[in-house]
Amino acid sequence: MKKLWEVRELSTVAILVLEVAFFTWYLWPGGGRSHPFLNAANGLLILKYSSIYGIASIGAAIVIISGGIDLAPGAVIALAGVVTGGLFVDAHWTLAASAGAGLASGLACGLLSAALIVLFRLPPFIATLGVMGIARGAAFIVTEGRYFDVSGALPADWRLAGVVPLDWSSPLVMVALALMFQLLMTRFQWGRAVFAVGGNETAAQFSGVSVGFVQASVYVIAGVLAAVSGVALAVVQGQGKADLATGYELDIIASAVVGGASLAGGRGSVIGAVLGTLIFGVLRNALPQIPGATFYDRLIVGVVVIVIVVMDQLILQRRAASV
Amino acid sequence: MAAIEFRQIAKSFGAVEALRDVSFSIGDGEAHAIVGENGAGKSTLLKILAGSLRPDRGELRVGDTSVSLGRPRDALARGIGLVHQEMLAFPNLSVTANIFAGRELTGRFGRLREDEMRARAREILARLHLPVSPDAQVDRLPLAYRQLLQVARALAFDCRILALDEPTTSLTAGETDHLFRVLDQLKTTGVTLVYVSHRLPEVFRLCDRITVLRDGRFVSTSVRAEATPDQIVQAMVGRVIPPRGAQPARPAPSEMQLRVERLSRRPCFEDISFRVDGGEIVAIFGLVGSGRSELLETLVGLHAADSGEMHVDGTRRVFGSPRDAAAAGVALVPEDRQRQGLFFNLNLRHNLLLPRAQAQRAVLVSGREKRASDDLLKRWQIKAPSSSATPDSLSGGNQQKVVLAKWLALEPKVLLLDEPTKGVDVGAKYDIHGIVRQLASKGAACLVVSSDLPEVLALADRILVMRAGRIRGEIAATAETTEESVMRMAASVPGEAA
Repeated sequence: MKKLWEVRELSTVAILVLEVAFFTWYLWPGGGRSHPFLNAANGLLILKYSSIYGIASIGAAIVIISGGIDLAPGAVIALAGVVTGGLFVDAHWTLAASAGAGLASGLACGLLSAALIVLFRLPPFIATLGVMGIARGAAFIVTEGRYFDVSGALPADWRLAGVVPLDWSSPLVMVALALMFQLLMTRFQWGRAVFAVGGNETAAQFSGVSVGFVQASVYVIAGVLAAVSGVALAVVQGQGKADLATGYELDIIASAVVGGASLAGGRGSVIGAVLGTLIFGVLRNALPQIPGATFYDRLIVGVVVIVIVVMDQLILQRRAASV
Repeated sequence: MAAIEFRQIAKSFGAVEALRDVSFSIGDGEAHAIVGENGAGKSTLLKILAGSLRPDRGELRVGDTSVSLGRPRDALARGIGLVHQEMLAFPNLSVTANIFAGRELTGRFGRLREDEMRARAREILARLHLPVSPDAQVDRLPLAYRQLLQVARALAFDCRILALDEPTTSLTAGETDHLFRVLDQLKTTGVTLVYVSHRLPEVFRLCDRITVLRDGRFVSTSVRAEATPDQIVQAMVGRVIPPRGAQPARPAPSEMQLRVERLSRRPCFEDISFRVDGGEIVAIFGLVGSGRSELLETLVGLHAADSGEMHVDGTRRVFGSPRDAAAAGVALVPEDRQRQGLFFNLNLRHNLLLPRAQAQRAVLVSGREKRASDDLLKRWQIKAPSSSATPDSLSGGNQQKVVLAKWLALEPKVLLLDEPTKGVDVGAKYDIHGIVRQLASKGAACLVVSSDLPEVLALADRILVMRAGRIRGEIAATAETTEESVMRMAASVPGEAA
């Protein structure tokens, strides 16, 4: 059994707890006013916005563990968002059918990446860079620059599956998907094979792993998960626009890395990546509340990424030295 | 006068004491062998000498001065060059760039003096009798030349002390001879050689004195003329190794067999036909580059054959991947455990049970992984802290046993082994031979590719000699078979009747 302190995700949780504690203290209101950061409504807001990154980061973590990289999620989020929004608002499809079409657009992007990487042996960086351009371009072509107001077309009391309130739906989907993929990665041979391919592709091939299938599957999954984020963006935040989620791919990759994924492959976790998005979600939520900190927002995010990864490296080195 | 003196050198990695108060000296201009099993501390000592590790305690003296080598560069500056066991080279760069890597000759503003470096490289290559252009890209060179390139690198820096870590592991007999002629020549020019190897014949051929390490401790230093290989082996392992040929009786060959007919994959190998019966161990002996690894890889479906057939148990088989082969009971233990065998990001449990799960197309990770892997570790006597450890905490010999065990977990009917004891110590080698014999005694057909002649003779019932992609002959291994008779067949000129 792994000792508790060897579970990498715990250090991510610890950082998250420290971060929340810091902002709680720093933003403590005077004179009995309600806390601007530590309250239920704000907590839900953080979860709601983070879930867009969080759902896609599950796919990113899996791709990174397999030894690859996916630059497409930001563009795929936008594409799935406008496909869903366009069909729902303009073409008056049902929401379920529109969302299905949105997911299909993500599936197509994932299949394209997979084909380029597995069949044509393109480096993942180049292949997904291309797919990123194609997806973003398709989003602009679909919308012709228009903006789809999904929230306006959605009934005010809409609930996911008739049960879950709108604001709660995307965090719930994120948690469900994170748990599902965490299980797939740790308790199923497919997940084991993803770790094996990321750790040593040649040995994986010699060990009877279908390397091509594993590589293809991770990009397809990443495409679909990014599309789930896109649908969530369209439905929960009510927007469909081609230039949304620009640059998200880098935040998503950073979240996976902060959550313990190694860009060298073979190491990382799905839960860690989702926790990583929450760390950034809290930062994005709390920093604008600090007077004057607005302009420092990106800088602080950058510094946090570096500090956490350096700490991780130091801990790993110390552990290796003590073996 | 001593060229190098180790005084009470100690080095620990966490709880593991790699070296415990090791003291001995190496004479100026002598060829000094350091031998011992894996984990004995040879490599650690060599790394301290080469400046890539610092000792925890103790003193290293070079010439008459006490030195502290913090970086490999410091060692080079003191005239100490190290030839690594692993082929440390930049495959994407030229021969010249490799020789001068890190210490390029530069002019003003760091401009590279390419012509001068190329000229020096050409001169050094000539000294080493290496028929290689200084501009050749290293990944196009045979492995043996890459090894000699490290020697060239040491020469380029005028090293007076040359430390070699298992330099012949992947060299053929001819290439080894070449290396030894170069080393002999260096000896006559007064270069001190520190030679780490498992191969005692080489040690006795080259070295003046032999130091034995065991479990991180100094055991003895003997003068070659006064020592016998048996004494050295006993000092290394601390126990008496049963003599060669003391093999357990095996049952008569069973019905099970591997039959290969006119298999070709040009340009690697051509027109290969042979059979291995159940219970039999057949060795393919051949020099590196004779197409042996490609043959085994083709048999398990890593490459497609141009023509020819393979039959397992009387059924014609064409495998599309190692998974198909494993599902049919055919397993390949590959040559390079670092690159092809092990996952260093996964623990031993996961390493050991991956091929079986793949072959069975398992969906879930088995809940009994721990017990299954503990059984494998125990059964094949693999020394590991626990099944949760990663392979990097194991010695080379135990790593190799893990690679073997992960395929044996499948209980293969046909076991293909590519250089199964490459770079492992005497004790592990003996254990691995025992494992192969045990498998054969249970009726498996075993095919061993090896360029280690004593191993071939110790292990095989029959020997197929391969040269330039073809099988040139077959020898039944009996007590009378000698290394010379096999070698003669492996090296004879093409066109001659084999």
